[in-house]
Amino acid sequence: MNTIALHVNRRAVEVSAEPRTSLADFVRDKLDLTGTHLGCEHGVCGACTVLLDGVPARSCITYAVACEGADVTTIEGLDEDEVTTELRAAFTREHALQCGYCTPGMLVSARDLVLRLPDADERRIRVGLSGNLCRCTGYVGIVRAVQSVIEARRARNIAPQTDGGRTSLGPAGSGRATSDRSEPQPARQALAAASDRAAAGTIPDFTPATVLDQRFTLPHPPAKVFAMFDDIAGIAACLPGVSLTVPPKPERIEGVIRVRLGPIAASFEGAARVERDPATLSGCIVGIGTDQRSHSATQGEIRYRLVPLEGGTATAVELSIGYTLTGMLAQVGRPGLVRDLARRLVAEFAGNLDRHMSGAPSGQAAPAELSFWSLASDVLRARLARVLGRVFTGKGRAE
Amino acid sequence: MKPAPFSYERPRDLNSALSMLAASNGSAKIIAGGQSLGPMLNLRLVQPELIVDISGLAELKQAGLSGGELVLGALVTHADIEDGRTADVTRGAMRGVAANIAYRAVRNRGTIGGSLSHADPAADWVSALAALGARVTLRSLAGARSMAIEAFVVGALESALQTGEIVEAIHVPARAVSAHWGYAKSCRKTGEFAHAIGAILVDPAAASARVVIGAIDTAPIVVTDAAELFGGRIAADYKQRFDIRVADTLLMKAGIDDVAQRHIHVSVLKRAVLEAAA
Repeated sequence: MNTIALHVNRRAVEVSAEPRTSLADFVRDKLDLTGTHLGCEHGVCGACTVLLDGVPARSCITYAVACEGADVTTIEGLDEDEVTTELRAAFTREHALQCGYCTPGMLVSARDLVLRLPDADERRIRVGLSGNLCRCTGYVGIVRAVQSVIEARRARNIAPQTDGGRTSLGPAGSGRATSDRSEPQPARQALAAASDRAAAGTIPDFTPATVLDQRFTLPHPPAKVFAMFDDIAGIAACLPGVSLTVPPKPERIEGVIRVRLGPIAASFEGAARVERDPATLSGCIVGIGTDQRSHSATQGEIRYRLVPLEGGTATAVELSIGYTLTGMLAQVGRPGLVRDLARRLVAEFAGNLDRHMSGAPSGQAAPAELSFWSLASDVLRARLARVLGRVFTGKGRAE
Repeated sequence: MKPAPFSYERPRDLNSALSMLAASNGSAKIIAGGQSLGPMLNLRLVQPELIVDISGLAELKQAGLSGGELVLGALVTHADIEDGRTADVTRGAMRGVAANIAYRAVRNRGTIGGSLSHADPAADWVSALAALGARVTLRSLAGARSMAIEAFVVGALESALQTGEIVEAIHVPARAVSAHWGYAKSCRKTGEFAHAIGAILVDPAAASARVVIGAIDTAPIVVTDAAELFGGRIAADYKQRFDIRVADTLLMKAGIDDVAQRHIHVSVLKRAVLEAAA
């Protein structure tokens, strides 16, 4: 717990809270100022908008501890505020609310628009309110209310304040801390290692939600490449982020794949079954895995087919990578980023495979890979992990 | 509260911040305005052991002119640029970009350095600053290094930042008096992530142009000598000479297989070209 001292609605408060406490939870749970509403809790819906050092900010993605020394004004602190008083009357008159859930954040954003916009231009008001979602009114009454207040104030010769009254640089609410109050915190409790592994023989086929087709060529004959694909430990060593947890059998592997996509990291632990068909120089690896930390699970498959090139001296490897992700990581909803990561991983895989077959050491040896993949700032990898993780290994375990 | 527990440190100055980063050996995350990291923490996509809050560091809140270029500290916010609290050498180009990033409540805390560090392909500064020919200075305990924006962003959410390194400042060259600027993006909803970004800085007098096709799921396509997009020659009639087939080919080479996606990107780039020529 950290002691956090700041001003809320012109009152000095000093309350202890965990660093992970959002400013919204801080004012609601510690100060009983429940007028600040929480909707999406990731900065999109605007219900939690408060004034931070006089300008609007999202209290759901601003941590209270980062607001040390700041001035916070919630909807409760705007009872006597002149602009907000005019807006309340206009909201009532124009039927600018129904259930009222968005209204505290809406009023904070509307107040900012009234102060900043030079005139009551409907388009600018609508754009200015686009960060505050209302599911009742259709916005028509809200826009009218804001327009009427701006018109009335400009008619009274109250000039706009284009900067909203802010004069200093940097994030609103920052830089007012008088001292470094932070105390060393115990590291996060270790997560229990996953103990339940997929039972042998229970790795089913599935229909992937996403399929990536990749093709690369290797300057080696198909038979040699196919033999290489039988060396599961060797293949695993070429896969970025993969480590095997038990010695592989020809038909089954167990292991972990760590994936990083920017700050996102995941570690999928699981198992995969291996099938191959020498007649067609093709095969598949089908796996399931889970990442305990993100409570996400993935199913994945790699299907490959080898095609002779240049009279059999080279091989085209046609890979089809399919996956389905469920759980928290699946909610990220930016599949394009995962595809980019998968593309980069497959490129790395191909390079490593080539080096391995040429007898050169793998480009990324295990220690380098570990540090490269390492830990906490690695969220993105999780995404990749789910892409490839279930493909190559199976089930997940927390790091 | 939604994030997993983390420790929190608020360093007194940049050097202590860098020391904390170096000591954490990769298990720490820097937070500035938190407008990208906050959602990821709340969704538990990111679970760092330590958060190092640099938002109070006065050293990173400097902004000024140096040798004809604009130097913006990493902590300058989008709203700072939108409102003109910082100097401008781009004749309004940066103000226009800043004013349309997400929402005002986000712009009041979100920083230019944080946005670049996050390296989201859909972020405005990643594309706009590449088109403007900006450079970024990175600092670690070992010293500072500088590189072009297009070299800094290497992929989706992947930057050239190494462990222990942070974005210190952004250097923006002055826009020539004869240079035209166009910037367009397509968002399904105002303020949401862009699905396509087009940016162009074209100087018919100097027969030069920089073109960026951004928000493409990976690092943006940055064409520093964009004559090929204008029939091999950049002149006053560049609007008429803009060749969408070349843009389409660039997108195909970048791995955008979907025809509809390419069409959206090309159309948005065309809007940027028309805006520049307007």
